[in-house]
Amino acid sequence: MTSIQSHGAATTVRPRQSGDPTVDSRFRGNERIDGARRFLLRHPGVVRLGVVVLMLLVWESAARFFMDPLFISPPSRVFASLGAVLDTEGVPNALRLTFFELAVGFAISVAVGLPLGLAIGLEPFARRSFMPIVLLIYGMPKITILPLFILVFGIGPESKIAFGVAHGIFPIIVTVVAGVQNLKPILLVSARSMGAGRWHILRWVIFPHMIPSFFAGMRLGMSGVLLGVLLAELYVSTAGIGYFTTMFTENFQPTKLFGLIAMLAAMAIVLNEIVRRAEHRFSRWR
Amino acid sequence: MSTGEVAIRIKSVGHHFGEAGEARHVRALADTSLDIVRGELLCLIGPSGCGKSTLLNVIGGLLAPTSGTVEVAGKPVHGPMPHDIAYIFQENALFPWNTVDQNVRLGMLFQGVPKSAHAARAQKSLEAVGLAEFADHYPAQLSGGMRQRAALARALSLQTDILLMDEPFGALDEQTRMILGEDLSVLLARTEKTIVFVTHSLGEAVFLADRVAVFSARPGTVKKILRIDEPHPRNPDFVTSEKFTALRNELYALLHDEIRKAVGSEAPRGRRGANGGAM
Amino acid sequence: MARRRDRTQQLASRAVQIGFLLAVLALWYAATNFWGVNHLLLPNPVTVFHQLVDVLKSGQFLPDLRVTATEFVVAFLLAMASGTLVGFFVSRSPYWIRVFEPLFAGINSIPIILLLPLYVLFFGLGAASKIAIGATISFFPIVLSTVAGFGNVDRMLVTAARSMGASDYQLFRYVLVPAALPVILSGLRIGFTVALLSILGSETIASLAGLGHQIVQLAENMEMAQMFAYVVFVLAITALLNVLVSRLEARGRRHG
Repeated sequence: MTSIQSHGAATTVRPRQSGDPTVDSRFRGNERIDGARRFLLRHPGVVRLGVVVLMLLVWESAARFFMDPLFISPPSRVFASLGAVLDTEGVPNALRLTFFELAVGFAISVAVGLPLGLAIGLEPFARRSFMPIVLLIYGMPKITILPLFILVFGIGPESKIAFGVAHGIFPIIVTVVAGVQNLKPILLVSARSMGAGRWHILRWVIFPHMIPSFFAGMRLGMSGVLLGVLLAELYVSTAGIGYFTTMFTENFQPTKLFGLIAMLAAMAIVLNEIVRRAEHRFSRWR
Repeated sequence: MSTGEVAIRIKSVGHHFGEAGEARHVRALADTSLDIVRGELLCLIGPSGCGKSTLLNVIGGLLAPTSGTVEVAGKPVHGPMPHDIAYIFQENALFPWNTVDQNVRLGMLFQGVPKSAHAARAQKSLEAVGLAEFADHYPAQLSGGMRQRAALARALSLQTDILLMDEPFGALDEQTRMILGEDLSVLLARTEKTIVFVTHSLGEAVFLADRVAVFSARPGTVKKILRIDEPHPRNPDFVTSEKFTALRNELYALLHDEIRKAVGSEAPRGRRGANGGAM
Repeated sequence: MARRRDRTQQLASRAVQIGFLLAVLALWYAATNFWGVNHLLLPNPVTVFHQLVDVLKSGQFLPDLRVTATEFVVAFLLAMASGTLVGFFVSRSPYWIRVFEPLFAGINSIPIILLLPLYVLFFGLGAASKIAIGATISFFPIVLSTVAGFGNVDRMLVTAARSMGASDYQLFRYVLVPAALPVILSGLRIGFTVALLSILGSETIASLAGLGHQIVQLAENMEMAQMFAYVVFVLAITALLNVLVSRLEARGRRHG
């Protein structure tokens, strides 16, 4: 029976009435249904999968029977046409180009963000002066100046990379600064008492301590670069995936559009997962 | 103070968590029967995991026992009985976003006391526990002892006949416990409340209780009941008396083996009962 | 002694910040006036200022502002209503939390804005697609924080309330809501910000009206000064809204 203390968030206690099933009733009744119920109860992941499948089914039936095929396409058809999407002239190149933009954008964000973050974080005066400025730009909706980026960098991959960096570099700086800051002073004192010089402290105390925050920053940075590059691509593109999303939209080809976007989503998920796993692996001591 | 009338009748109550054969199966309480008399303060004491908190939860209607029944004031217990039983927990159960006064009033709102009576009752119970000046403070601004006083005030304002207290002073330091214990004794002398009190502390049990029910190790049952014949309010000097020492020693003797048994049979972490550490 | 040193350091930092701002403005001015940077890329700051004043005085920003504001408000209200409702019901049982929370968190981690072409295809270029994508993106931080807020209410408080005879409604109103409020409010703040950014973003990329669209139009017509004026305007509004929302959240937290 339910008890207030043995269940989760906020359970109700219903006063037990005399006809109520007691604990023993669980042994009565259908064994197989109970077995299945218990399996599902122990594996929420299976139920989660079930929910996703259910949503796909809803999408499938809605798209197939109730909606205009000009605007929406059922998942079965989308899945079947993935090959056709890749066969479309220029799409594989576009995917490669987008991936290239993401990789370069991320690399630049890290290469510039990390040293900048260290420089700002390690010197208290620099931190107090520059952090508000960094935070200001971080919080600014850079999307408003996307047209400006295009004007400055052109409509090629440079502008996508630049816009990606604009979104990806700030979380890296901010998290690196935070990681350097919350070092317990006692650790520094203890290192110094053992004779460590400035360089040693940097290399063996500050740097390892900062690694988990750095990886957290990289995770946020990757999300930022993804966002920036994709936004720029969707805005204007001559050979990247933005070009094709526009084309499929204007030609009312929902199947190919869904397929392309699904592939992009997969790319985004994979990249995110990689960075997230790296973060997890390097943050174990935390 | 006891009038002889039975306030709480515990009949063959037993409880186990989980199903037999499951990893988390634990028999917390074995067949336990006990009659608690109106107006007495009964202490439940015993080793960890012996079921005393489980029994308290059963009495309070917070847990339905797997066997046996409890009757309170002649009525069988099916769920919380806010008009008959007030419950005080070990951990702080004051609502942190409310002031002390608001906490007390909220309890009355839940029980169903008419709004017009709230102010007077709140004032009275806060005065009774000595927190009248701190009515507008937030729990975070109070010490542990004061928070438990506030919890007590909230319980008192509900004007129930029965008060259940689950190691209420457990998280406090010894000096605060001493003071609160003395104050509780004074309070008991003034009212006719029936109090069931779970504790780990031998001294506290002897000082406060009219009777002490000593539990055996898990699965727990009442091993022996010690009677303490000393009128309330208990004199602080009682603690240093020979009578106190003798009683405390007797309690120690009864408990020592059970405690050893309980520690010896404790399973490694991860295989405790469904109720986890709340034992 | 340490206090005075602190204060001078504070002043020095402030000085650096102001100096930085002034330096940027000065560079901007110099670049356009003396160094011959193309006016088609970077307009004269003075011109931008005049344009801004003109735009504000003439009220020509109003129709676009109305469009953006409507889209934003509707999107956020939709997300708030659905997010808190769904979040509350999921939080009722730890099992459902284990089923749904990773799902929501997973979706939240990808840039949902890439679904924009789908929404445009389905809803068209009008306000509906902006509202739809704004609501979709804003939904997830709200539902996640609602689940976290209600799901992490101290069980002891619930037990205590029940033992005092609280009904379901009383439990919800006097215990669950106040306990969960700070977390939910922080989620609402994130949802608010994200909705605004999504609306502006989708207006920039694919729209026929609104502030984002206006900026794009001006860029395409090479009306740089006016474009900069609008950018400053939008940045100012965003900053203001952010400050407002932070204050509200702080106030909610204090009373919670």
